[in-house]
Amino acid sequence: MTPLLLRAWSRYLRLTTQWPSIGTIVPFIPLIVAWWIVTEMRAFPPAFLPGPAEVVRSFGSLVYTGVLPEYLQDSLVRLAIGSFWGIALGVPLGILVGLSQPAHKALWPVLLFFQAIGDIAWLPILVIWFGYGLTTMTVIIVYTVIFPVVLNTVLGVRSIPVNMHRAAQSLGASRTRMLWEVVLPGALPNIMTGLRNGLGYGWRALIATEIIVGTSGIGFLMFDARRAGSVVEILLGMIILGSLWYIVDSWILAPIERATGQRWGLVTK
Amino acid sequence: MRHRLSSLLWFCAPFAVLLALWAILVPHFDVNPRLFPHLDSVAQAGLEGIKDGTLVRHVGASLLRVTVGTVLALLLAIPLGIAMGVSPTVSSFLTPPFRFFSVLAGIAWIPLASLWFGYGFGAITFVIFNAVFFIVTYNTLLGVSTIPLHVRNAAASLGAGRWAMLTEVLLPGALPNIVTGIRTGLGFAWRGLIAAEMIATNVGLGYMLFVARDFYKTEVIVLGMIVIGVLWLLLDRLLLAPIERATSERWGMVQRV
Amino acid sequence: MKSLTIRNLSKTYFDVHAGANVTAVRDLSLEVPAGEFVSIVGPSGCGKTTLLNMIAGFIPHTGGEILVGGHPVKGPGPDRGVVFQSFALFPWRTVLDNVAFGPKMRGVGRAEREKIAHEYLALAKLSAAAGRYPNELSGGMQQRVGVVRALANDPDVLLMDEPFASVDAQTRMTLQEELTRIWEQKRPTVIFITHDVPEAVFLGNRVVALSKGRVLEEIAVDLPRPRVWDDLNEDDRFKALSGRVLQLVRSA
Ligand SMILES: Nc1ncnc2c1ncn2[C@@H]1O[C@H](COP(=O)(O)OP(=O)(O)OP(=O)(O)O)[C@@H](O)[C@H]1O
Ligand SMILES: [Mg+2]
Repeated sequence: MTPLLLRAWSRYLRLTTQWPSIGTIVPFIPLIVAWWIVTEMRAFPPAFLPGPAEVVRSFGSLVYTGVLPEYLQDSLVRLAIGSFWGIALGVPLGILVGLSQPAHKALWPVLLFFQAIGDIAWLPILVIWFGYGLTTMTVIIVYTVIFPVVLNTVLGVRSIPVNMHRAAQSLGASRTRMLWEVVLPGALPNIMTGLRNGLGYGWRALIATEIIVGTSGIGFLMFDARRAGSVVEILLGMIILGSLWYIVDSWILAPIERATGQRWGLVTK
Repeated sequence: MRHRLSSLLWFCAPFAVLLALWAILVPHFDVNPRLFPHLDSVAQAGLEGIKDGTLVRHVGASLLRVTVGTVLALLLAIPLGIAMGVSPTVSSFLTPPFRFFSVLAGIAWIPLASLWFGYGFGAITFVIFNAVFFIVTYNTLLGVSTIPLHVRNAAASLGAGRWAMLTEVLLPGALPNIVTGIRTGLGFAWRGLIAAEMIATNVGLGYMLFVARDFYKTEVIVLGMIVIGVLWLLLDRLLLAPIERATSERWGMVQRV
Repeated sequence: MKSLTIRNLSKTYFDVHAGANVTAVRDLSLEVPAGEFVSIVGPSGCGKTTLLNMIAGFIPHTGGEILVGGHPVKGPGPDRGVVFQSFALFPWRTVLDNVAFGPKMRGVGRAEREKIAHEYLALAKLSAAAGRYPNELSGGMQQRVGVVRALANDPDVLLMDEPFASVDAQTRMTLQEELTRIWEQKRPTVIFITHDVPEAVFLGNRVVALSKGRVLEEIAVDLPRPRVWDDLNEDDRFKALSGRVLQLVRSA
């Protein structure tokens, strides 16, 4: 490397230690430039691979017409509703299965099996039961989110040392207090991991559902574009999905997951 | 041995109960077979599917796609991940894009893949390839870059050449991460497969389910769901989870479901 | 403070792997007056932990009775504080909140229970660590927190199962001295289980040697208090007592 480049590189490194978010954005610049060059050189027909400029233009017009904000909102609301129920049902179920040996014997294999069936495989029969609509989508997302949450909660509950229960009991904690003071915090790092995995799966399930049976949402936008043969909007949808999840996952979920377990020393880095 | 047998029995017992409930309750409440099938009609559909070869064909098609997509992805992803992970600067620069693409993995590629490759084997295999490739590359990269520098220095000072460094330090060091990546990636790929087959093909388990829906053949749908569940359970529990456990537990890492 | 009475206590486990019964404690009787410090020694597997777990109410006994302050034990309760060998601190609570846990369970308000906790932390010279999480402490500090957490709940009986076994020799001696000092101030009834004969003699008013689930012999320790290692290390009576106990344990 020439000294100039080296100097620029070391400045970049210093910059990223100061503002880590720069380090996550800058690496995409060469990628976008490469994409731009490839499309400018007409390596592929534009209908196959449109350039960044076109994607930005279509972004502008979809925002302007209000389609994109509306679809985005639809998708996020669906995800939020589904996740809420997934957590609200999954954590208590996980605690029950984790604490009670009979419940564990009876339910653990069943849970594993139903998790294995996988969200999307439910789609055909759910459509028969509930038709095309919000109910079907919500059921799919709840179904997807709930399993990682339940399974990880069980793991978390069962990994609490028995002496921890005993210590709390001999300090005078009642059974209900134990849930709140020992079981829940003890399982929390695992619950967070489950939640993060669950949302990752749930979000993909949402997209698939919107693609197959949707009438709105980012998945639908992409599939609608697919029908019209408009690669631009497909790419736009993918970029939005990727960026959105990237932000949610790496700036919100991952730090929470790390913060709970690490300070307590329950998770080693 | 006796212990394993009894734990297998315990694992199966709840399913026996479920099947019994199904066999009793559905006829008892006279559930419309267009809403939920009887147990014997599902069994019959299964037998017929095996006899006339359609079920076997669908399962075979799905498994072939998964295998081809996964093997191709692994062949590319692991060497690439290691190569990129060796230099800390390169890996820190490349981590965000790979993370971005692994976030997109699987289902989100279906529309584009079906436009680029047309409906059929190509598009679906591409979706699977994608799901596995980016996640495994990202995890390999992560695995290699988290091998402490002093371990690599120690190996070098003990006389490890390039090849030995690769096979004795980098590959084993990154292995727990790689295996976790494969398991996660395959999880997404399997779901992506079912979704893609519903949209973009005329053979495969997903297709079988989706077509059955048009005719309200719930027994075929439920049969397909059971096959999907059993296949994944076998793959995940008998192959992936044990490998992951063997690698990550020995290296003292955290447990996963 | 409450007395502890154990009459004809026995415990038989069913060993699932061997498919047979194991008698860990048989026909054991012990009388501990209120405010006494009793050390219990005995070879590995003689039933020390089992005995302590039954007194604590963690496991049911299969015969005889345990009375604390005249009332039979039915499960764990705040009248019997427990210090664990593995510390068993709550990793998700700060040191202060760990120590304030017992008072919180009793319904003591925040300000009051934090005052109590600070007081006990000062007693164990841990005031500086109040805001830290357990995994940010050394092993010796964690065990001190474990001890004052049990004390802060003001138990009538304090049960300790090899609490200092996993800390280094230096720290252990400091902890032993601190424990006697604190005990002299608060005077709870203490059952202290250990493998370490000098430790048992140093701490106890009485040393009880167990063997195969029974009391082998009881030895009164009439050394003056306060006890510190600098005095006792060269003390002939201490040496003689330790020698006797050691002989007992080895013959057990
Ligand atoms: N849960 C259990 N099931 C079956 N047997 C048990 C169980 N717990 C303890 N035992 C048996 O009871 C006997 C006494 O065990 P205990 O743990 O009380 O010994 P200990 O005196 O505390 O030993 P150590 O000094 O090694 O801690 C041992 O033979 C042990 O194998
Ligand atoms: Mg013991």
